[in-house]
Amino acid sequence: MSGIPPATSEHFYLPPLARAAHAGHVKRCLLGLPDSQVDLDSGRMAIAFYCLGSLDLLKMLQDKTSQTDRESWKEWIWEQQTCGKYGSGFRPSPFMASSMPSEGTRYTDYDTPHIIMTYTALLTLAILRDDFSRLEKQGILLLLKACQRKDGSFSTIPGSGETDLRTLYCAFVISHLLNDWSGVDVDRALFFIASCRSYEGGYGQSPYCEANGGTTYIAMAAIRLAPSNSNPLSLSEIRKTIDWAVHKQHRSGGFCGRTNKIADACYCFWIGASLKILGAGNLVDSRSLASFLASCQFKFGGIAKAPGEHPDPYHTYLSLAALSMFPPPQYDNDTNSSTWAFESLDPLINARGETADWARSHIAIQG
Amino acid sequence: MSQPTLYADRAEWSDVVPIEQYESTTPLAPIFYKNEYKDATNYFRGIAKTGEKSQRVLELTEHLIRLNPAHYTAWQYRYETLLAIGSNFEDELRLMDELAITHLKTYQVWHHRRLLMLKICKPARELDFIAKTFKVDAKNYHTWSYRQWILAYFNDNELWSGELDFVEDLLYADIRNNSAWHHRFFTVFQSGVHDGEEDRERVLKRELIYVKQSISLVPNNASAWNYLRGLLEHNSIPYSRVITFIQPYTLSMDEQTADLVDLDNPPPSKGAHLPCALAIEFLADIYEAEGGDSMLNATELWKSLGNEYDVARKKYWEYRIREGLRAIQT
Repeated sequence: MSGIPPATSEHFYLPPLARAAHAGHVKRCLLGLPDSQVDLDSGRMAIAFYCLGSLDLLKMLQDKTSQTDRESWKEWIWEQQTCGKYGSGFRPSPFMASSMPSEGTRYTDYDTPHIIMTYTALLTLAILRDDFSRLEKQGILLLLKACQRKDGSFSTIPGSGETDLRTLYCAFVISHLLNDWSGVDVDRALFFIASCRSYEGGYGQSPYCEANGGTTYIAMAAIRLAPSNSNPLSLSEIRKTIDWAVHKQHRSGGFCGRTNKIADACYCFWIGASLKILGAGNLVDSRSLASFLASCQFKFGGIAKAPGEHPDPYHTYLSLAALSMFPPPQYDNDTNSSTWAFESLDPLINARGETADWARSHIAIQG
Repeated sequence: MSQPTLYADRAEWSDVVPIEQYESTTPLAPIFYKNEYKDATNYFRGIAKTGEKSQRVLELTEHLIRLNPAHYTAWQYRYETLLAIGSNFEDELRLMDELAITHLKTYQVWHHRRLLMLKICKPARELDFIAKTFKVDAKNYHTWSYRQWILAYFNDNELWSGELDFVEDLLYADIRNNSAWHHRFFTVFQSGVHDGEEDRERVLKRELIYVKQSISLVPNNASAWNYLRGLLEHNSIPYSRVITFIQPYTLSMDEQTADLVDLDNPPPSKGAHLPCALAIEFLADIYEAEGGDSMLNATELWKSLGNEYDVARKKYWEYRIREGLRAIQT
């Protein structure tokens, strides 16, 4: 980290946010990833979300992509919607697909829809302003049902034992967007969330696990999304979670994900959004946060997890999402100020406000 | 380095019909696969279609997993194949020992291991294996989560017996390793009463001394303070019970008065950076809980944190002051 004055100093200087360069980074990734990233093969839908989501937050989607591309990307996403014995949903990519999905083809046990990928597909389609007329809503409810386990948690794909809090959050957002909670047992799910709470005040990814920023976000957002009337957390529990979260902001302005770890750009979103959901967003030091994220910018575009590291769509998107919640204060005489301006973000489903509204109004099951 | 022979060129695979991945003309985030991966996945899709479960499928899935350890379907198919052909799970576990170290941060590596352990039911060796991986990364989330699962699932006194020593070694190497502190809390308080730990009063006293001594050695360590808070709350003990211990840490080095050795309240070590913000925060919490006039003491401490000792969180300390004052007024 060179040349960055301490964020608390009187002479606060923020370099520009290289918006065009960051758009360039995610656009390159949208068009193709090198073989060295082959481990993203079974998670491409999420990468597409981070890339298109970044363009959406930057408000550059229209300028940087053509209408034709946007239409064919929608088609690609719809091609991943698949139905079969466990219900319907989206696959991460055609990594196990041998033929173009057509009416009547049903998935095998090796090509099932995936809950996390269904969540990212819905958000990405909303970013592309799809009308969702092709969405198999009832089938998705069946998929959620098939993936919920006895302990209240959700597996990523039907029949798998791979389960943790992440998938539960995605199932909740999907139910919220469908405006239909019949696919999930909410009480059991909330019980599972409670069992992941740690003595530190944050949440781990499974029962007995260490408190972590990502899973704390998921717990807070899921509790808020749940259709129950009362918050299952006591006032003192909420205060403890706020205290834990606030202490994750480093002097550098960045957030770390666990006690005594180093700051990482993604936790600026995960923990920042947790605080926002808890009504404590004003406790984040947005000036030093921006200063940290400025230092994570890669010189050829994209934002990395920490200064000096290589950028990727995940950290780029989450950094921009954090800035959408916590834009740094504007200074009249600072010409760089305008590069840090964003529209507001919906912290619960993790999308730009307008995109979140689109998703809610077009995905919901009517009547 | 010579290229591995493609499955397409191997006679023993000639009976399998490879299946190309279907991809539309404008895919999102396509990966420019190298030939080796493309070839292996073509044959894997071919195998998954026919449902073949055989020794060569184990070779193919191992190859694929080495190329892409996050390929969850390859893992799923591999596990089904192991079951179907009655493979030796312990051999598989030995292979996983190697793969886990190479792909420490891949979820599937650990998930597969759980499935194997459910069959093998020999958890003790796992604790040794995990200890080895901590030499590479002592804060790996997946590994810790796996250790906690092993202990909780098999829940055998033999297994638990070494946990405290294990944690102590890790904390000796890095006193700020929060994963180790968390594991200590899990072991002592959240997993039932283990052999030799029946006298809870003694256990509580031991833990209090342990964490106080740790703080005395390195006061500016949030993990230890969180542990202290956690153990008091878990046992319904008010924070005020440790006020005598806390106070010296809220003062500067010059203000230290302790000259007697008080084993219950070890003073800050000589080189400590004082006053310690975490101690000031703790003391303020004690005053806040007392309420009444003590609230003003709390607000003074929060002010000192916001203005001097923890300036980065100024907004938070201002919020605590507002909340505190509101509490007095109502």
